[in-house]
Amino acid sequence: MEERPRALLLKFPGTNCDEETARALKVVGFSTEIVPISALNTETLDGVSLVMLSGGFSYGDYVMSGRLARLVTEQKIGAGLREFRDNGGYLLGICNGFQILTQLGLLPEGSLVENTSGRFQCQWVKMKKQADSPFLSLLPDEFEFPMAHAEGRLVTMSAEDARKYRESGAAAVTYDQDVNGSFEQIAGLQDETGRVFGMMPHPERFLYREDHYDPDWKNSAPDSAGSGEEKWGSGYYLFRSLYESVTSSN
Amino acid sequence: MRKTFEISDRFIEAGDANELLYEPLGGDLTFRRTRRYEIDFEGEENNLVSFVEKTLRDPISQDLKKGEDSAFTAFAFVLEYGMKPGALDLEKEAILSYYRGIENLGFELKELNIRQRIYLFGNSGDESDRFIRDICNYAIHNWSVILGEK
Repeated sequence: MEERPRALLLKFPGTNCDEETARALKVVGFSTEIVPISALNTETLDGVSLVMLSGGFSYGDYVMSGRLARLVTEQKIGAGLREFRDNGGYLLGICNGFQILTQLGLLPEGSLVENTSGRFQCQWVKMKKQADSPFLSLLPDEFEFPMAHAEGRLVTMSAEDARKYRESGAAAVTYDQDVNGSFEQIAGLQDETGRVFGMMPHPERFLYREDHYDPDWKNSAPDSAGSGEEKWGSGYYLFRSLYESVTSSN
Repeated sequence: MRKTFEISDRFIEAGDANELLYEPLGGDLTFRRTRRYEIDFEGEENNLVSFVEKTLRDPISQDLKKGEDSAFTAFAFVLEYGMKPGALDLEKEAILSYYRGIENLGFELKELNIRQRIYLFGNSGDESDRFIRDICNYAIHNWSVILGEK
């Protein structure tokens, strides 16, 4: 029997999207283990292909979102995640996981602050693929995901930095309109290796077509990637893209 | 020794103060929020400042003001509030838990007092009672009001 690549999903106090994210990873082919941050050490990463940071409100978003999770992670494994990436490992952060990856400095420099609306926003958003990425290869150029966050506005030290991210492909996905005030409408970032990726919207909440908010769309439209697999939503294709990239690089 | 730090957000502009109230006040009051940390410590001050900058401030999106002076001026009034002594302050506990996990910091943290500040800007009489009523919880918070210079 073919061995499945291992995914490790880090769970902080306040993480609350771990179960559905683990489900998505299992559905596309990963062997997935949810590990509390208290049990993390450098050996935990042995044999792991993907480190996953899912959504939620780690440490109650105290101080600022992702800040305390970053400090505790650094305290636990130091430079372990950088070594993991340098040795070919993949990291994916969704929503709060994206906030933590930016705080850890594993993604291009940026910070996720309060939406310009000043409110928690829970809505579906249209997104555009802006660059090639192992996480997006099976997705069409435009797709939809649900988002749910209060602090999802990506800001950089200067507006020019964000423009450079668009030009260089570091801003791998953008919103198709200004939903939260993110510079350059950036929804997600990738690092130079392409193996570290984070974004605010939630692909794990659109794993199946039936998860879509519009009954007309989910009952009639062809699937987003056009592969003929009618039951899958766009989120499936993000996780499947990742799986195929991981298995082809192993 | 005691040091005070106040952290404000660089990218969040002043919002309509009516958003803080159950019933709109009318007028043109706007607000900004900050977090203020009063720290009693022993040891090397530079190490404390380094800890605060690393732990409590985001270098991209936040400004850090050291000392007693307010982060903003020209305000109508400021509502400062925080947890009463004895009430569980989860932010404080999370910070202290992180602090206790690090060795050889070069200072000893004796006391940490966290206060939220809401700066109100605009032409107003003393409307602070309305904000106290709608923002503070009498069971767990204590508060004070600082009036701006006329």
